[in-house]
Amino acid sequence: MRPGPLLAALVTTLRRNVAMTCAVVVTVTICLAMLGAGLLLRAQAHTVDDFLLDQIEIVVDLQDGLDDADRQALRDELAADPLVVGVTYESKQDVYERFRRDFRTSPDVVAGVGPDDLPASFRLALTDPRDAAVIVETYTGRDGVEAVRDQRALLGPLYRFLDAFTLGAFVLAAVQAVASFVLIYTMIRISAHARRRETAIMRLVGATNAAIRAPFMLESALAGLLGGLLAVGALVLAKIYLVDGRFARQTMFPLFGWDAVWVAAATVLAVGVTAAAGMASVALRRHLRA
Amino acid sequence: MIRLASVTKRYAVGSRPALCDVSTEIGAGEFVFLVGPSGSGKSTLLRLLLREERATTGLVEVAGRDVARIPDRKVPLLRRTVGCVFQDFRLLPDRTVAGNVAFALDVVGRPRHVVRAVVPEVLELVGLTGKEKRFPDELSGGEQQRVAIARAFVGHPQVLLADEPTGNLDPATSAEIMDLLDDINQAGTTILMATHNAGLVDAMRLRVLELDAGLLVRDERRGGYDNPDGPSETSPDIDTGPLDTPASTGPLDVPAQRPRVQAPAPTGREAG
Repeated sequence: MRPGPLLAALVTTLRRNVAMTCAVVVTVTICLAMLGAGLLLRAQAHTVDDFLLDQIEIVVDLQDGLDDADRQALRDELAADPLVVGVTYESKQDVYERFRRDFRTSPDVVAGVGPDDLPASFRLALTDPRDAAVIVETYTGRDGVEAVRDQRALLGPLYRFLDAFTLGAFVLAAVQAVASFVLIYTMIRISAHARRRETAIMRLVGATNAAIRAPFMLESALAGLLGGLLAVGALVLAKIYLVDGRFARQTMFPLFGWDAVWVAAATVLAVGVTAAAGMASVALRRHLRA
Repeated sequence: MIRLASVTKRYAVGSRPALCDVSTEIGAGEFVFLVGPSGSGKSTLLRLLLREERATTGLVEVAGRDVARIPDRKVPLLRRTVGCVFQDFRLLPDRTVAGNVAFALDVVGRPRHVVRAVVPEVLELVGLTGKEKRFPDELSGGEQQRVAIARAFVGHPQVLLADEPTGNLDPATSAEIMDLLDDINQAGTTILMATHNAGLVDAMRLRVLELDAGLLVRDERRGGYDNPDGPSETSPDIDTGPLDTPASTGPLDVPAQRPRVQAPAPTGREAG
């Protein structure tokens, strides 16, 4: 069919079915906003991950009173380990300085601690930070070693929090996707019923199946696109007001950037349009005789 | 143009067939009436020709193609060679006369300049020039049927199937519609018209196929509505007509000037 008549058919369908189409758009918007939120939370987890993998090292706390020769031997051994790329020594004073820096916002904590309360340590940079567990296991309990700490492990709760919210967003998106499908199915049924005269005549005069179905698929795809655009709008607003406007001032972790928002937006739009058209195609098989 | 060979159609397994072992042939350019009581299988036969249904057994050929063997995606091409007109017109109420006719071209993807050129021509042919912008509910029944015929004919099908096209019309309007179909036939389109209108069939004296309970009980060269051999139950002999006398079939057999149907005296207003 030419674009003109196709568009006319689409407008007729939409006009007759405006309430149903609005319901589909709202549901699809919520579904896609949840999908987008899930994608952004995952992007945030990756952002934190990348940041931590760069910043956080394995810390080998040394026992007090370890003599220089033993310390040097341990250092040589660590440096020779193929999993380790860099070893830095921090004296008790260095550790105290770092401690004061990390807890500068909590003077009460700093006040009760002096340099002697903190252990001297080696900070290790790893070839692959994901091998941290191996290093922890290898060096824990060695002579002169007080403790081996994977600082990334301390962030377990943060990761669990991000993972839980990501999962929650995806589950909500899936529930909304089911609701969207039911609504699109109903929308197509109503549309097909309202246009049964047209479709019967189209079949009779030899219109192809594709031509008969196109207005319905377009109607659904358009609802998907509108829902997608609204969802993208919601994501952009969330990035501006929630992420950059509030969270950025409340956390020391870096937050996902606009590139993540655009990737999520593109995904949301593509999924919205293709899934809505796909759902319509399934519904058409049931409600429109070929 | 149309060939049926031992066609049987059953809608449900074990049920009485809607068509039973029907064989006939309709040549290009013929005008054939299909008569018989309600439920005799007329509509089923038309549906088989459109591939709305498939024959249970037997061969259905339209324009040289075995209809049953046309793949699903090519069925639309078959339907473009077969136009259809119905008793209830089946117009789109929210489109104008011109819009209804253009619809048939639009939905098969004909270019706009073709649509713009062809639609007025066809509306002129059916006598609706000047009423292009009217909506169906502003037209009489006869005019609505003319729109339906224009829509069926606008793609220049080789065959026109008419399922009781005068069923909703008064005698005068029926005669006008009959004349229009006759004109279209004279221009070369094969027409198969199912009808209960005895007056028209008797007046035209064209070939008549009669169905009764799914059986083809009559195939008469220049028949009337009623079976001259009496009730169908007592006349199993079928005039095999064109199959036995091919020289007498086809457009060559159509007289240059057929008797026009005499319209009765005007009765006031058309049915509408």
